[in-house]
Amino acid sequence: MNKLLLIFSCSLATLLPRIIPYFASRYLSRLPRFIRKCMLLLPVAALGALIFPLALTDFGAMWYAGLAGVFAAFLVSLFRGPMILSIVVALVSTTGMLLAFSA
Amino acid sequence: MAISCKELREGVKDGFPIFLGYFTTALAFGLLTRTSGFSFVEGVLTSAVTFAGSGQFLMMNLYNAGSLFLSIVVSVFFINSRYIFMASSLSQRLLDPSSISGRLMCGFGTVDEVFTVASFKGRKLSYSYMAGLIFISYIGWVSGTALGFAAGTILPEVVQKAAVITVYAMFASLLGSEAGRNAKALLVAALSALLNSLFILVLHLSTGLSFLISMIAATIFGALIYTDKEAGLE
Repeated sequence: MNKLLLIFSCSLATLLPRIIPYFASRYLSRLPRFIRKCMLLLPVAALGALIFPLALTDFGAMWYAGLAGVFAAFLVSLFRGPMILSIVVALVSTTGMLLAFSA
Repeated sequence: MAISCKELREGVKDGFPIFLGYFTTALAFGLLTRTSGFSFVEGVLTSAVTFAGSGQFLMMNLYNAGSLFLSIVVSVFFINSRYIFMASSLSQRLLDPSSISGRLMCGFGTVDEVFTVASFKGRKLSYSYMAGLIFISYIGWVSGTALGFAAGTILPEVVQKAAVITVYAMFASLLGSEAGRNAKALLVAALSALLNSLFILVLHLSTGLSFLISMIAATIFGALIYTDKEAGLE
């Protein structure tokens, strides 16, 4: 298989779905009200599926290490902590779990 | 389009968590390209022209499994079809929707994390802001791939594993602050999380298809339970 051809074909298969909608916004803004409302709520809906189940399965048998990190980050931001603090707390929680249970 | 340094800097600042997450994820990708028999240039080129996390991992996995050329490209397209919806959604939040180069840049940079951070910014997005956000993320992704190829084996395993959490922590953090504003966000995200887990773990659907169905179903559910005002519809 030609690797360069593969790389550029996959690049197109990735970039076209991302770029074309930006050039269709004239049509998008004419869509029915309910569809436009859906577009606004898409980010919230995406978040759940972006986190689960991959945040758990990425850690295999130690899925609870992933869960601990996600939960810690969520709590920090729920109490209005900045994102970077969420990430640090999540890193510490997950690393702690990994070290504690990997013996 | 005029460039505002203040906006650019704000984009870079907001994108720094993405940089961290991408850099560490890309280390793993760089290492994978090396063990798959790609050269350094081919590995880095893949990240430089594609700029997609899951799509690139899928491409390498299928390549290693000896899949046909066409089936790799079609699978990559399917796992990326969610971007059609994300890009459509984000295009509605641009401050100046006319610039062609600006739209090309935003399209190139509409990855999951840039999409979520930009969407929850809570105001119209300037191209300078988007440029900063995309630039810092892109640098993290490409440089991580290069370093991963060159030195991925040096990092201790526990650090490599723990770094995986960075991106998820970012998503969880966005969800937490959104839930603080409106508790309905939790219901919507819980539904998409539940559906996605069910489809992947129980029904063994492909990740791309599963994500797409879960996201769309939860979006419709959200549109039904949010009022127009809560959703930000003028």
